[in-house]
Amino acid sequence: MPRMPQTPYTSPPASAIHPGRHSALHGPRWIRFLRGARLGLPIFLGYVPVGVAFGVLARTIGFSVFQALLCSATAIAGAGQFIALSLLSGGTGALMTVFATAVVNSRYVLFGTTLSPHLRGVRPTVMSWLAFTLTDETFAVNIADRRDGLSTPASMAGAGAIAWCGWVLGTGIGAAGAGWIGDPTRWGMDFAMPAMFAALFVALAENRRHVLVGLLAGAVALALPALSAAGLTVSPSWFVVIASIVSASIAAVAFSE
Amino acid sequence: MSSVAAQSTIWAVIVGMAVVNFALRFAPIAVFSRIELHPRFLRWLEYVPISVMGALVATEVLRPGSHWQPPLTNPGLYAAVLTAIVFRYSRSFLGATVAGMVSFVLLRAIIF
Repeated sequence: MPRMPQTPYTSPPASAIHPGRHSALHGPRWIRFLRGARLGLPIFLGYVPVGVAFGVLARTIGFSVFQALLCSATAIAGAGQFIALSLLSGGTGALMTVFATAVVNSRYVLFGTTLSPHLRGVRPTVMSWLAFTLTDETFAVNIADRRDGLSTPASMAGAGAIAWCGWVLGTGIGAAGAGWIGDPTRWGMDFAMPAMFAALFVALAENRRHVLVGLLAGAVALALPALSAAGLTVSPSWFVVIASIVSASIAAVAFSE
Repeated sequence: MSSVAAQSTIWAVIVGMAVVNFALRFAPIAVFSRIELHPRFLRWLEYVPISVMGALVATEVLRPGSHWQPPLTNPGLYAAVLTAIVFRYSRSFLGATVAGMVSFVLLRAIIF
């Protein structure tokens, strides 16, 4: 939906701007839940193949089908889970492995903090589910939806649910079919995530400042590996977190009026 | 990746990851949704999502698998730009994502 210019004196009713706006905000809870699930469909599409890759890999490290499923169902931590596998296969202990995944997933703290002002007064059970299903993708989809003024706790729960389903389903397929599945990232499935990030970038860029800040973050993220080449070692898992903090801080100072 | 991990280690990692990941996600939401945040902090937060997305796109497209890919011969870069354009005009995540994947496969197969 393109944003329509709105003049203060002839502002049309909200339903005329967003045809589905009323049901998105005031419809029955299950309608809002389903709307969120539909919004999260691209996440599902992207998670299945990556989940398959995790399932296949987990079996080669010694996970049973059940263990692989359980791990995905309880952690839903894409990159963190892959790092855990590679550390485990290298003989790293459990404690160190868990710590490494915590470092990789430290960006969730940033996401949770950003979402928190919008989740005042939300029931603890719903809040737990939203936290549990918080990933790069659900965060971005829900924040973009929030910017359009359409998101509700129910729709966010729906987006989280469909994302969880995709990740667990993919893991199951991969773990069960580990023997005969070849390269699970064929057919451009490996580009599902980057493509979604590109679309979400546009969705989140409200104005020229946002575009500028986003590009700055990208540049910083790409420059960080060069820094580590110069002797200053930064773990790749921190690149996105550091770049985001640096870029958002510069923006908050530069655009403070 | 060759060696197989011990069953006890696998179980410990599964439980540990479940607990740690939930704590990381839940704690800030539970704490910050209860207290009044400073306006300056809120202004900073306003720029976090776009920054995260910029960093993610740049990393995923230009350094896939932590390896720098020269932009001019990187099918992902062209496909990402196309995805962004499709989303700009369609406002459909699904349509844009599929368009990106299809163009990525075609570009990779035909041109590069």
